[in-house]
Amino acid sequence: MTASAPASALQPALLRASRLSKSFGGVRAVHDISLEVPAGAVFAVIGPNGAGKSTLLNLLSGIFRPDTGTVAFGGADLTDVPAHRRVRHGIARTFQKIRLFRQLSAHENVVAGCHIHCAIPAWQYVVHGRAFARNHARCHDKATRLLAFMGLGARAHVAAGALAYGERRMLEIARALATAPRLLMLDEPAAGLNAGEVEALIDRLQTLRRDGLTILVVEHNMDLVMTIADRVLVIDYGQHLFEGPPAAVQAHPGVIAAYLGEAPP
Amino acid sequence: MSSADATAPRRSRSAAYLLALLAIVVLPYILTGSYWRTNLIVCALNVMLAIGLDFVLGYAGQLNLGQSAFYGIGAYASTLLMMRLGLPFWIAFAGAVALAGLAGIVLSLFAMRLRGHYLAIASLGFAVITYQVLLNWISLTQGPLGIYAIPPPPALALPGLPTIDFHDLAHLFHLVAAFALLSYFVLDQLVRSPIGETLAAIREDEVSAAALGINCAAWKVFAFGVGSAVAGAAGGFYAGFVGTLVPDAFFITESFTILAMVVVGGMGTLIGPVAGAILLTVLPELLRGIGDLRLVVYGAALTLVVLFMPGGLLQAARLAIPQRKRPEPAQ
Repeated sequence: MTASAPASALQPALLRASRLSKSFGGVRAVHDISLEVPAGAVFAVIGPNGAGKSTLLNLLSGIFRPDTGTVAFGGADLTDVPAHRRVRHGIARTFQKIRLFRQLSAHENVVAGCHIHCAIPAWQYVVHGRAFARNHARCHDKATRLLAFMGLGARAHVAAGALAYGERRMLEIARALATAPRLLMLDEPAAGLNAGEVEALIDRLQTLRRDGLTILVVEHNMDLVMTIADRVLVIDYGQHLFEGPPAAVQAHPGVIAAYLGEAPP
Repeated sequence: MSSADATAPRRSRSAAYLLALLAIVVLPYILTGSYWRTNLIVCALNVMLAIGLDFVLGYAGQLNLGQSAFYGIGAYASTLLMMRLGLPFWIAFAGAVALAGLAGIVLSLFAMRLRGHYLAIASLGFAVITYQVLLNWISLTQGPLGIYAIPPPPALALPGLPTIDFHDLAHLFHLVAAFALLSYFVLDQLVRSPIGETLAAIREDEVSAAALGINCAAWKVFAFGVGSAVAGAAGGFYAGFVGTLVPDAFFITESFTILAMVVVGGMGTLIGPVAGAILLTVLPELLRGIGDLRLVVYGAALTLVVLFMPGGLLQAARLAIPQRKRPEPAQ
């Protein structure tokens, strides 16, 4: 399946968040942020450190409940749906601080992500029959394919905790893809990667979007954002600063001020 | 085909189960005399308690110190259902397993928001409360006076075979050990299924488990329910085996003994706690000659394992025996 048409206003939004706010104590981490991610688009969220990007992602993935505002996905209201149920709707994510199952192998990490789509009769968990074997083979093949795609084919049986930093980032993406998402949310996927690894990551994300996956990425690496994003949302101090195509963001004086610390005009 | 590749380990596992069954049949005729046969039965009971705890602790990663309570609930429930309500043994036994499992589910619901040390304290509190209830609800349990003359399971008359009388300790061992093996089989099958990876994911990181669609709360309830039901089954056999029930048999120290069996054996594997249970049942018996010093040996062994061999006996065995080349799973 190819969805090569650029995201346009005509396409219905896959993810729609409106007027999200979240405070921790007296700190307004996210304040009145709305966004719409069209199906098939790559949507980037950027902003200085502490701008509330990760909090926004946690609100979208259900780790935090918003104080006010709503989250809708594919037409369903997910505002009160817990994180683990959102995955079944098709939302997968990675974490800024990598969170892998460190003692499990790379392969097992990915297989653990396959199980939400596992439908074998309950008794076969104890007496492993034909459906069990089919499911086992399906998960195994899928994990092998995803690891190969993320460049980890040769590292499948290494414990996740023993992988190099860049490999761990790739493994987290492979694991998220195992849940067969419609929307993949990446929290700083390029952080800590060298230039070559970033290039490979960009290639893979391009492949995923060509296959029809919608991607929301929080990122500092401007090469990555400018190369793959269709639309960029800039936030600062938890608030909406600007939203537009990548080229417009680069030219926007408020964005430059937020990053370079000049007094806003 | 991956199914063809899967048959080789499955065949060797079947062979291991057959071997275990054979060992169960012949052991009470090698280790004869009521002293050794009694110890064999205690081993089998402890194996059930240890693998039940390991399912919760080693796989789901929940530090549960309530295993003595589930053991006690199983023992008292089966006895009271039998002696007060006049139910046949096997129905009382099933009731005891169900009640212990239910107690585990209730504890896990209350302890859902707790982890690590906090869960340990909450589950220990549950064990203390259960002990106090057994001790003080005298109209039901007869408290410290105890319940006496509890009969062993009724004789089993299988067609074409001589009647199996469980007053004979050898046969009682066959029965309890067969149930221990069955429990092992069920738990082993569960941890080899997607449930095994699901529980491991929860153990390793609950936030990312949830990010993969895993309902951590529900699976913890499941693990507690299964682990305590197995302990309840051990309790159901304990009463008829000892013939007497007093609350002191289910004091909280029992929880720590079971924990030691799991840790010494190697948690997160099933065969490790089996070895740990057998070792920590037999070792104190062998050390009876040195009197109370055996407690020192016991404590020192546990400390050394935790300090130097966190993977337990199983890790030691892996170090000692050169690893056979493990075949790579099929591509």
